[in-house]
Amino acid sequence: MKIFQQSSEFDYTWEEVSISNWQKYGPWNEKTPHVVAVDTLSRTVDPATGILRTERLITCKQSCPKWVAQILGSPDTNYAYETSYVDPKAKRVTICSMNMTMSDLLSVRETCVYERASSAPDAKTAFSQRAEITALCGGWQKIKNSIEQFTVDRFQQNAARGKEGFEMVLEMSRKVFAEQRELIRMQQDSQILQQLRH
Amino acid sequence: MSASLASECNEVKERYDNCFLKWYSEKFLRGTATSDECDPLFKQYEKCLSTALKARGIDSMLKEARDDNRENDAEHVRPNR
Repeated sequence: MKIFQQSSEFDYTWEEVSISNWQKYGPWNEKTPHVVAVDTLSRTVDPATGILRTERLITCKQSCPKWVAQILGSPDTNYAYETSYVDPKAKRVTICSMNMTMSDLLSVRETCVYERASSAPDAKTAFSQRAEITALCGGWQKIKNSIEQFTVDRFQQNAARGKEGFEMVLEMSRKVFAEQRELIRMQQDSQILQQLRH
Repeated sequence: MSASLASECNEVKERYDNCFLKWYSEKFLRGTATSDECDPLFKQYEKCLSTALKARGIDSMLKEARDDNRENDAEHVRPNR
């Protein structure tokens, strides 16, 4: 088994991050073209804890190098299963995902957490990501190690692009919110002006 | 928002996603959500999606993933420590 982990911070509030998280793979993100679809399978609020649980199916298209494809026979469409848990009181989003495709050969389990940064809880959000990668296929340890290492490397590349892409989404989202607020303010101002005229 | 894996579900998915995002940002995060007004839209989307998942044989893969995920639910849906 190999472990990939990293942590970083976003210069956005936890609320902004938690809202934009739902738009992470939308058109504002130009850095993750390998994610082609995101479908919501179920969504419930736990009555006891108030935690929002969402199940999603992520569809990716990303080709593997030839040697990996030869060993694993990898298809070009991959599916991942994701459950996320939003705790609005603790202000924490936890996202767990696993691969559904080739899961008898390779197990990839990832957990991401977004929570208020201890350095600036009302302005910044801390992000941590941890993935466990285990090759399950039979055969030489050397081959298993290479497959695990390839997957870790791919993870690292996708994680870097993922952060860049998410930054784009956060920026756009902040702009759009500001524009909407401005629009509402202008509408209210004009109403006041109209009333004054009458 | 992102596309659906089944293009025939895109239209209803978009309507549901927009409804959800509004509910999430304006009610859920502020602690004022009493019910989920997006549920009727979700039902329509779900109906379309489940047909597509069956047709593509993804539903059986999904069942396995759900079974594997039980421990995550046990860990992450529990009262605040």
